[in-house]
Amino acid sequence: MVRRLSLDGGKLALALIVGILVYQVVIPLLMVVWTSLKVVRPGEPGFFELSFSLANYARAFGSGDFWHATWNTLYFALASTAVSFGFGTFLAWVVHRTNTPLARLIGVITLGRIIIPGILITVSWILLASPSIGVLNHVLEGITGSKGILNIYSFWGMVWVHSLEITPLAYLLLSAALQSMDPRLEEASGAAGAGHWSTLRRISLPLMLPAVGAAVMLLLIYTIETFEVPLLLGGRAQVRVYTTEIYFNTSRTPTDWGLSGAYSIAILFLCAVFLAIYFRLVRHGERYQTVTGKDFRPRRIDLGRWRYVTSALSLLLVFLITGLPFLVMLYASLLRRYQPPSLAVLQTLSLDNYQEILRDPIYSYYPMWNSTLVGLASATAVMLLVSIMTYFVHKTRLSGRKLIDFLGFAPVAMPSVVLGTAFLWLYLLVPLPVLGTLTIICLAYITRYMAVALRFVSTSMLQIHSELEEAAAVAGGGWWSNFRRIYLPLLRPGLMAGWFWVMVHAYRELTIALMLARSSNRTAAVVIYDLWENGSFPQLSAFGVLIFGLLIVLVFLGQSVGKRFGVQEQV
Amino acid sequence: MKRVVNSLMVCIVLALSSVDSLYAAAAQSPEQLFAELAKLQPDQRLKRLEEGSRKEGKLNFIHTFRGKLAREHVRLFEKRYPFIKVAMADMGSQDAAERLIAEETAGRHLTDTISLAVPDLPVILKQELLADYPTPATSRIGKQFQGFLDKQNRWVPYYWSEHGISYNTNLIPPDKAPKSWQDLCNPAYKGQVSFDPPETRFMVGLYVLMGEEKFQEWLKCMGQNQPIIQRGHTQRMNLMLSGDHAVQGDNFLYVGAEEKKKDPKTPYAIVYSAPILAYAGVMIINKNTQSPHAAALFSDWTLSEESQRYIATEFRGPLIGKHPYLPDNIKVVTFGYVSDDIVDRLHGYWNQHIGKKK
Repeated sequence: MVRRLSLDGGKLALALIVGILVYQVVIPLLMVVWTSLKVVRPGEPGFFELSFSLANYARAFGSGDFWHATWNTLYFALASTAVSFGFGTFLAWVVHRTNTPLARLIGVITLGRIIIPGILITVSWILLASPSIGVLNHVLEGITGSKGILNIYSFWGMVWVHSLEITPLAYLLLSAALQSMDPRLEEASGAAGAGHWSTLRRISLPLMLPAVGAAVMLLLIYTIETFEVPLLLGGRAQVRVYTTEIYFNTSRTPTDWGLSGAYSIAILFLCAVFLAIYFRLVRHGERYQTVTGKDFRPRRIDLGRWRYVTSALSLLLVFLITGLPFLVMLYASLLRRYQPPSLAVLQTLSLDNYQEILRDPIYSYYPMWNSTLVGLASATAVMLLVSIMTYFVHKTRLSGRKLIDFLGFAPVAMPSVVLGTAFLWLYLLVPLPVLGTLTIICLAYITRYMAVALRFVSTSMLQIHSELEEAAAVAGGGWWSNFRRIYLPLLRPGLMAGWFWVMVHAYRELTIALMLARSSNRTAAVVIYDLWENGSFPQLSAFGVLIFGLLIVLVFLGQSVGKRFGVQEQV
Repeated sequence: MKRVVNSLMVCIVLALSSVDSLYAAAAQSPEQLFAELAKLQPDQRLKRLEEGSRKEGKLNFIHTFRGKLAREHVRLFEKRYPFIKVAMADMGSQDAAERLIAEETAGRHLTDTISLAVPDLPVILKQELLADYPTPATSRIGKQFQGFLDKQNRWVPYYWSEHGISYNTNLIPPDKAPKSWQDLCNPAYKGQVSFDPPETRFMVGLYVLMGEEKFQEWLKCMGQNQPIIQRGHTQRMNLMLSGDHAVQGDNFLYVGAEEKKKDPKTPYAIVYSAPILAYAGVMIINKNTQSPHAAALFSDWTLSEESQRYIATEFRGPLIGKHPYLPDNIKVVTFGYVSDDIVDRLHGYWNQHIGKKK
């Protein structure tokens, strides 16, 4: 049961949330909508006049090629979502709910994938499975005698690489839900004679419907708006998807902001549809409340001898997701020029690329430090913000609370280039001294990552029974006290998962950082871009390895702090 | 009494603001200053620029060289003129243009000067944001690059970028290598020639070289030869050099030349017999620059011997002196920018013949 909002700090928090959403989301959204309805560019005469046109929409959606690309996109999205959801669910279940050996290691390696920049992963798979130089193809040729068995430049190559890219997202979302699962329901199922698979299918997964719904929705949207894989692989595969269509139509000089805005509105519409379906799925929120006032400790399922099978399968999967691309990246980082492995090449390995990068502190240390600050600040701020937002959405009867969720989710529809530009314009017009500082990048990231963070915390919030807060209120606790002492600890799985996701992505985010970069606020992602455009893949790999090491430390520190709070595992 | 004091304070503030405005109104505009400087003898001009720069003390600059390349270039300038602090951002040419437009439209004059590619100029030219800056420094530019100059002195060219054909010598021996742009249509290279997704600069260069009709025919025959379309100049070159495919139908030649300099065994060769397509990288000065002397001094400096020597050392195309790796007798086709209509048509031809979809 949801409660009426009491006359205390809750209303103040609500006012603050609404104010932040208006400033951080509504204004950039209005700028996107405005631009989409103008045929002149920002800065040209007539841009601020109250005359509008649907010409951009006609151009965007009036072309047959565009709809062809849209069909490809839906096909690509469904295939990638199915594969990554399967992988993610399996890994989350193995790691958090079974006694599979090496479960913790499997979890860490899965998450390690997020740390490696997407460009490096995609190029690594090109080097592994390119028909002409792919390492795996050379091995298979030696075994079978056939050349070019694997072709990464194909539709299914794109699905494979992208599925591996987003499996950790599915893993994180479902992990958070699994960690908050009350074992009594599963024990009751077992006592009634159901096996592990039957219990998973008929009890555990249905209870996790909010998490499942959120995962599927996010995976679909992420795939629809992704463009690294389609850009690097789709060109040669001759598969054009929505985002490459947008990219090619808006990356010409001058940038076609009107067209870009029209495409953004289309993605926003799609997000609204997905969100409506999601709300319908979770409308009976009380059915998914597994965290109650009774004693609650998650437990692990004893798989018996099957645990070795699950261990082997999981290790193979994470090796493909993270291990193999990382090894390619590490190998390449030790070369002067990329060449497929051979005895002769192995003799030329050196640390020259690392020396070159670390030689110049302005080039390497300062951007890494900037990214560390931005990542930590953005992640912490956004998780705090969305935890309060999800409270109002799922635990109160406020009219218009779904609008809060929609506004928080809406930024997912804005491509980074559009969001970065909106923030640039906003702070050119609003005379706050944030231009050229890390603050403006943090503010943009709070908007950028609010959507995903919201889904992480929403799934955990839905699992918490309202009786806990009601009991605290009866005992005389104020709104903020109850929120801090009851909800926040119980939200730990979702909070930590979301914090990790946002922190890592904020660290490696490029487009917004590039748009808002000046001399004093360069981030690690900008250095990656420099190496991508002007360096070489080996140098880029060396920088990727350094970032990987740094982020592993940050994640470990974050997890150590997070472990002090929240629900402890049942032994 | 309190009311009187408050009113007095308001009047003082307003008066001070007015003085500032009057002062600003009385000061020369950058273009007036530049016109005045153009009348001076070279040594007087330099003295005036240095004195003015010393007072200004800073320069906000966007470089389209990236990373270390940009920073080292600016460091050379700061070493020569230590009284000028350069706050530099580096980004792509197109993004630099968008940034300047956004800032000026919002009335914030945050950038004094930008380096960018000539093909990306039209959008800024439409906004009339460039100061006319006549300078004697451009008289040093090599004869073959005089075509890069602007009659209205809206920019100062200081390097050139080239698009050309190159190939992997392990996969294609020199006698079987393509000799011209038309050769890329040879079925022997089917599926082995790579390009970036449609790049306006590259297409304008071919348009200038071939004319519209022949360009369209070339695209048609290229489309039939199954070209590899892949984003990323450096990545594409790295892949070609590792044996992924044989020919770069288009790329910046310096990318491969740099690899060969690091490792002479790199299997890289340039097709010198095919004309090189060349456009200029230029310095432009914001007509609302807050540091006109420093902006002018920096623009002139980019054509100095030390700047040009640095550009050559880094394998970019200097406009003064010898090119670091291209022979003197190579045919270079220079181009600037064309109208939006032509650009739209060129993209249309590309989409028709090469941008095929599944």
